[in-house]
Amino acid sequence: MIDFTPDAKRRFDEYLLRMRVSLRGTRAVEPEEVEQNVIEHVELALAGAPSPIGPERLDTVLEQLGPPERWLPDDERPVWRRAMDRVMAGPEDWRLAYASLGLMLLMMLTFPIGGVMLLLPAFVLSRAVVALTEERGETLGARKWLVLPPIVLALVLVCAGALLAPAGAFGAMLSEIGLRDLGLDFDNRFDRGRLFLGVLSMATGAWWIVLSGVFAMLMRPFRALFAPVTSGLKRGHAVVLTIAGVVVAGIGAVLVFAF
Amino acid sequence: MQMSDTFFVNWTTQLRKGLLELAILNTLGSGPLYGYDIVRRLGDVDSLVINEGTVYPILSRLRNEKYVESYIEESSSGPPRKYYRLTPRGREELRRMNEHWASLHGALAQLRKERAR
Repeated sequence: MIDFTPDAKRRFDEYLLRMRVSLRGTRAVEPEEVEQNVIEHVELALAGAPSPIGPERLDTVLEQLGPPERWLPDDERPVWRRAMDRVMAGPEDWRLAYASLGLMLLMMLTFPIGGVMLLLPAFVLSRAVVALTEERGETLGARKWLVLPPIVLALVLVCAGALLAPAGAFGAMLSEIGLRDLGLDFDNRFDRGRLFLGVLSMATGAWWIVLSGVFAMLMRPFRALFAPVTSGLKRGHAVVLTIAGVVVAGIGAVLVFAF
Repeated sequence: MQMSDTFFVNWTTQLRKGLLELAILNTLGSGPLYGYDIVRRLGDVDSLVINEGTVYPILSRLRNEKYVESYIEESSSGPPRKYYRLTPRGREELRRMNEHWASLHGALAQLRKERAR
């Protein structure tokens, strides 16, 4: 047993703790066995040195042993530890990516109590990772699994909101004020339903035609905002929306006027 | 550090990782050794072991995979030491690894010879 000074003893205990933490969860390696070997290594390396051993002399041996965090090849370390290391000490793009996914998961867990608000910071972090990788001329690679969920979810919500919310609001208003106030009066229940659906479809179709124009004008910022998911968007997609609007409005017109 | 230096450093790191297990098994090929002794012997091979601590998890893994076994032996100059020795399975694996290494080395030498012509 080596006689350490209090400082050296503390430093050695810290080193062993780092080693235990870095080896924890590794199936192929037994941390107790490694620790026993490391203690034996230090004792033999310092055998014959004047007691008590101070931190300087201990540091020389520990430096030769190297940082325990680098002892295992990356593929042998548990997945959760690799993830933790990337969050704690990895490059900022990995840290941001994990933070973004963490916020996304927290959002899902706290959804009933307003967790949806966390989507905004998760989206901002994801966009920061995308911008960082673009700036470095890299591809997202495996980071896409961490980064894309908040961007995709935000895109789906924005699109659903833009396409359907005005139609929903118009439908609610229509059922509230009643068709009679619009000068349309049908006693037959089937005709009332047909008329309601027809007016709603015409309004939705008209809204989509307007929206496609706005979309075509704001194509560039929209594409940049939700990149890389929307990177492939072209003006042709706005035309598709216009056509969809014309078709839906046409169906509505048929329902209202053709009978 | 230049691009070519980075490439060389990465390449030697990968090579070292692959060779360290072979080197550890070969040091045990001549007989049982304790951990510190294995590290010292590997230290004699130029730039094979950068962080001496990397040897110990490999020893633990080799023992878990039953290529080596360990036993405690009293020492005349200090506390009892943990010795490692090859198992029959480890000896067979070492033979295969050495053969493979020799074959690789031979093939590379042949390629270099052809390039020199």
